[in-house]
Amino acid sequence: MRISANWLRSLTQIDVPVDELAERLTRAGVEVEAVERVGEGLDRIVVGAVKSCRPHPERDKLVIVEVDDGTATRTVVCGAPNVPRPPGRVALALEGARVPRRGLPGVVGDLVVARRRFAGIESDGMICSEAELGIGPDAEGILVLDDGAGKPPTQDPSLAPGQPLAQALHLVDHILVLGLTPNRGDCLGHTGVAREVSALFGRPWVPPEPSAPQRADVRRIDEVVSVAVEDAERCPRYAAAAVVSLTIAPSPFWLRYRLFTLGIRPISNVVDVTNLVLLEFGQPLHAFDLDRLAGPRIVVRRARPAETMQTLDGIGRQLTDDDLLICDAQGPVAIAGVMGGAGSEIGPSTKRVLIECAHFEPRGILRTARRLGLHTDSSHRFERGVDPNGVPLALAHAASLMTWLGEGAALPGLIDVYPRPIAPRTLRLRPGRLSKVLGSPVDSTQAASILERLGCTVASRGDDLDVTVPTSRSDISREIDLVEEVARVRGYEAIPTRYPSIRTGPPTPRAYPFRQRARHTLAALGLDEAVSYSFVSPRDLEAFRLPPVALPLSNPLSEERSVMRTSLLPGLCRAVARARRVREERVRLFEVGRVFLGWEKPGAATPAREKLWAALVMAGPRDAYLERAAEVDFFDAKGLAIELCRDLTGVAPSIRLCSEVDRLPWLHPRSACVIEAAQKVVGRVGELHPDVIESLDLGGPVAVVEADLDALRTVRGERRFAPLPRFPAVSRDVALLVDESVRAADITRVVGASSGELLESIELFDVYRGEQIPPGKKSLALSIRYRAADRTLTDAEVDSLHATVLGGLVDDLGGQPR
Amino acid sequence: MGLIDEIGERLDALVRDLESSLQGARSDDDVRARAARIVGKKGELTALEKRIREVPPEDRRELGRRINEAKARADRIVEARLAALRAEARRRELEGPALDVTLPGRPRRIGSLHPVRQCEEELLDALQALGFEVADGPEIETTAFNFWKLGFAPDHPATCMQDSFYLRDDVLLRTHTSPIQVREMLSHPPPVRIAAPGTVYRRDDDVTHSPMFHQIEGLLVDEDVTFADMKGILTLFVRRVFGPDTPVRLRPSYFPFTEPSGEIDIGCLICSGRKVGCRVCKGTGWLEVGGCGMVHPVVFENVGYDPERFSGFAFGMGVDRIAMLRFGIGDIRLLYENDVRFLRQF
Ligand SMILES: [Zn+2]
Repeated sequence: MRISANWLRSLTQIDVPVDELAERLTRAGVEVEAVERVGEGLDRIVVGAVKSCRPHPERDKLVIVEVDDGTATRTVVCGAPNVPRPPGRVALALEGARVPRRGLPGVVGDLVVARRRFAGIESDGMICSEAELGIGPDAEGILVLDDGAGKPPTQDPSLAPGQPLAQALHLVDHILVLGLTPNRGDCLGHTGVAREVSALFGRPWVPPEPSAPQRADVRRIDEVVSVAVEDAERCPRYAAAAVVSLTIAPSPFWLRYRLFTLGIRPISNVVDVTNLVLLEFGQPLHAFDLDRLAGPRIVVRRARPAETMQTLDGIGRQLTDDDLLICDAQGPVAIAGVMGGAGSEIGPSTKRVLIECAHFEPRGILRTARRLGLHTDSSHRFERGVDPNGVPLALAHAASLMTWLGEGAALPGLIDVYPRPIAPRTLRLRPGRLSKVLGSPVDSTQAASILERLGCTVASRGDDLDVTVPTSRSDISREIDLVEEVARVRGYEAIPTRYPSIRTGPPTPRAYPFRQRARHTLAALGLDEAVSYSFVSPRDLEAFRLPPVALPLSNPLSEERSVMRTSLLPGLCRAVARARRVREERVRLFEVGRVFLGWEKPGAATPAREKLWAALVMAGPRDAYLERAAEVDFFDAKGLAIELCRDLTGVAPSIRLCSEVDRLPWLHPRSACVIEAAQKVVGRVGELHPDVIESLDLGGPVAVVEADLDALRTVRGERRFAPLPRFPAVSRDVALLVDESVRAADITRVVGASSGELLESIELFDVYRGEQIPPGKKSLALSIRYRAADRTLTDAEVDSLHATVLGGLVDDLGGQPR
Repeated sequence: MGLIDEIGERLDALVRDLESSLQGARSDDDVRARAARIVGKKGELTALEKRIREVPPEDRRELGRRINEAKARADRIVEARLAALRAEARRRELEGPALDVTLPGRPRRIGSLHPVRQCEEELLDALQALGFEVADGPEIETTAFNFWKLGFAPDHPATCMQDSFYLRDDVLLRTHTSPIQVREMLSHPPPVRIAAPGTVYRRDDDVTHSPMFHQIEGLLVDEDVTFADMKGILTLFVRRVFGPDTPVRLRPSYFPFTEPSGEIDIGCLICSGRKVGCRVCKGTGWLEVGGCGMVHPVVFENVGYDPERFSGFAFGMGVDRIAMLRFGIGDIRLLYENDVRFLRQF
C-alpha cells in the first residue's frame, strides 16, 4: 500500500518529519518498507503562459510558441499537437534544466535543456509532457495545467508565469510504502492510516465529513433504478448512488498526479474518482454506465452453473455457483467485489453513472478471486475486511466529486439494502490479563486511552473494561486482540526484558543427536555434505529402477520436481553429473535426509511414511600422492560403510552379497551388498549398475553407500572397556597360493578354526596375480598374530600352532605355502 | 727385561696401532674390520693372550691384568671412533640440502558441512544451551496440523501468503515448522521447551525464494510465561548466535498463531548500524531475522491446554537467510544445486 505523506498530513493535521512518521508506524506494526520522494529535482522548470502559437514554416509537425516565463517572452519550438490557446499554462523547462524523462519508455538519463535550432528556428527552452517530467504517464502531448477542476486556469495566482512548477503544482511529496500484514485491512486507505497515526501521536481522530453534491437532479434514485439482493449472506450491504448529465473528461492534474504517485493509472474523471475514494477510505466502488444497464435494475445473486461473463480485461470467465454476481435485468455485469464486466464499462460517451458501494463477505471474495486468478485492488480489500458502516460516507463523497469534476447532477436519495446492520463488537478486557501476558503492570487508564484513540468506546465494568470496537477493525475479535493493540501502540520497547528460570519436563528420546553424529562422522570421513530437493523427477526414479511407489505432488512447479524422493541417490547423482560437466573429477558427497516411501494407514501419527537415511557417493580417482590413482571402487565404499556403522552403533557390521540381486537393481550385481548389524539390515553398499551410470551420464564408476538411520539408531552396541594385554604377541607371515575362488572370509574362518583362542588377528597384506602365478590362482600374503591372555607364548608353542594353521589352510582350502 | 714386560710393551703397541688405524676408518664396518685385526678372534691381541702360558706362574696374574686393561682400552677406542663417525654422519645429514617443502602434503581431507546445516546446528546449539530440546515432525503434514490447529481460518488471506505444495486435499508439504509445536503440545503436558528445526516448502522459485528451505522454531510453554520472558530469551539467543553486543529489536507484526506477534530485527551485521549505503539492510541499520509472539489462546484451546493457566511464546527463523548472510551467498539457488566447488568451501 502506497500512502501520500501530504494527504496524510491534511487528514491528521499532524506535521512531523517523514522519517519520524515512518519509524513510529513501523514500531507499531504498520511497517514502512520504503519512503519514496516524488516531484523533486525539477529545478528551472517553471509555469509558462502561452502568448501565441503558429505553425513552423518548414516542418508540418512543429509549432512555434511564444511563452511568457514571468520575466520575458521566449520562443520555443514544440512538436506537441495540444498546445493550449493563450493564456494557457504549460510546463516550461528553461535553458540548463534537467528533464528526467523517467516516464518515457526506453529512454535513460536526464536531458539537459539547451538552445537548439529546429529547421532554422532557434528554440529557447522546452515545453514538457508529464511523462518527460516523470510526474505522469501521458507522453502523447505536453502537460497543460488546469484550475483544479479540469478547466483552463483563470486568475489563479499560484499559476502565475515563472513560478517553479513543483511549487505551483504541489509536486513534492513523500510516498510511504507500507508492507501490511493481512490482518490490517483498515490501513488499505488513507483515512485508516490517518486514524492509526493519530493514535500513535496521541491526537484525537476526526473522520472527514460527508460532502454534499454540487447539484441535484429532480428525480429520486429509486425512481430510476431498483436493487434486489438475493444473497444477503454474501452481500450484507448493497448501496448505490447515481449521477446524471455527466461529461466524461480527463481528471484535473492534482487528481491524476495523486493517483499516479500512488500507483494507479489515471483514466477519466469518473473512474479516477472511484479510485480516489478507494485510496481515501479503502472502500472499493464500482461505476456502471447506467444507460448500459438493462432495466435499469441490479440483482445480486450467485452465478448459475456454467454461467460465463466477459470481464473488463476482455477475458471470458467461467463461473461457478460459489461466485457472487452483480447482474442487470439481462445478465451479469460484474463479478461482485472482484472485477466489472465489459458491457457496462464507463466510456467517453457515458452520461449517467450508477455508483456501487457494497459490502461483501471476505471469504467468498477470496475464493472467487483465487479460483479465477484475479487479484484486484477491490478483491484485495474485500478479502481483508472493509468497514460495512463506512459505505454511506464513501458513496456520498464519490457522488459529490463526480458532480464537481464531471459537472453532473446527483439523483437525490440513496439505495441502501442493509437488512441486518453489522453492529460494533463489545469485548471484555481484564487489566490483569494485560499484565499477565506482557509481564509488567499496565495502567488500565493508559490502556483505555490507547483503545479510545484507536476508535474504540471504553466503559468500566468493575476492574474490567468493556471495549466496543469499530467495525473497521474486523481483526479485533477477542480479548487477546485488545492486549495486542495496547502492546503495539505503547511499543514493545516499553515491555521489560526478563530472563526466565528453566523448568523442564521429563526427558524425551530425540532423533536429533544421532542425526548430527552421522553427519559429523561422514564429514570426518572426508565427504562433503549436500542438500538436495526432496522432490525429484519420475524419470530419476525410473533411471534407478526404483519402484514407482513415490508420492506425487498435486501442484508441482515442474515435472523435474514432481514426486517425493524414495532414495537419496538420485539427488546425489545429479551432483555427480554436475561435477562431471564442470570437469571436477573427484567427487565425495553425502546427504542425510528424509525419503518418502508411501502413504501411512489411516489413523497413523503421520500421513506418509518418512524415513531418515544417509547416503554417500564416491566417484573419480582415489586419494593418491604424486602419482595417478585408480578410480574408487566397491572397497572404498565398503570401508566407509563399516566405519560409519561402527561409529554410530559401536558394532562392526557385516557386509554380504545380496542374495536377491533384483532387490537392489541400481547396484552392480557382482558387488551389490547389504549391510547388517545386530541381525538387522541397516543399509546397502555397492557400485552403481553400469546401465544407471550410462543413463545418467555419470562418466565413470560410482561407489555408493546407503544407511537407514532409523534402523541404525535401534542398534545398541555397548562400548565396554577391554583390559589391555599383559603378555606379548607373536607374528608369523604366510605366503599362500590358492584358487581364485578362495575368499578372504574363507581364510579367516580356517585360521580361526585351527588356532582357537590364541588367534589375535589376521592381516591380509598382499594379493598378487601375474608372473609366476598360474592362471586361476592367486598368491596371498598374510600376517597372523597370536597371543595368550595369561602367559608369554614360547617359540615352540607358536611354531606348533602355526604349523597347524598352515596345515588347515592346505587341507581345507588347497593352499600351497610359498 | 722379562717376558712379561716384553709382552706388555707389545700390548701397548697394539693399542696404539689400533688407535692410529681407526683414524683412517670411514664407516662402522671399516672400524669393526680394522678392530678385528687386533682384538678379533684371530687378532694380534688375542694371539698375545695365548702366550700367557709362557710366562712364569707368579707373573701370570699380572699379565692377565695388563691384557684386560689393553682390551678395555681397545674397546673404548673403538667406541669413541664409532661415536665420532655417528656424529659426523648426523652432522652431514643435518647439513644436507633442504627438502622441497613446497610439494603438497599427503592428502588427508576432512569433508565439509553444508552451510545451511552448519547454521542450523549453531542456532540449535544456542537454543540447547538455553534449555530447549530438539524436536522434529513429518515433512508431509496434514492441513489440520499445518494450518487449522494453528488458528489459520479456512480461506483466510494468511493461507494465501504461503502458496503450498499439496499431495491431497488435506495433505501438503509443511509450509513452516510450526506444526511441530502442535504435535509436541498434543503429546506432552506443559512445561514444553522445544527447538524444532526442519525442511519446509513453499511454491516459489526465484533468486530470493527456493521451493525448499529451512526454519528453526522455538516454543516455551509454562505457567506465567510473559512477553518479557520472550524478550529475554530472544536477546540471549540472538547474542549467542550473532555476538554478545548485537542490538535486538522486536517490532509488532501478525501471525495467525501468536498474539501479540513481532518481527525480530538485529543490528545490521554488514554495516554494524552505520546504515549509509548498506545494501543488505537497505540503509535501515536493521536486519529482519525472524518472527515471534505469544502463543495464541486458540492454539492452546486446539491442543487441550488451558489458556487461562498456561502461556508461552514461539519464535522462528529462516536458516537459509542466516546462512546466506553469514557466508555472503547472494543467490539462494546455489544452496541446493550441490556444486562440489560450492560445497567444498564450507
Ligand atoms: Zn547494513
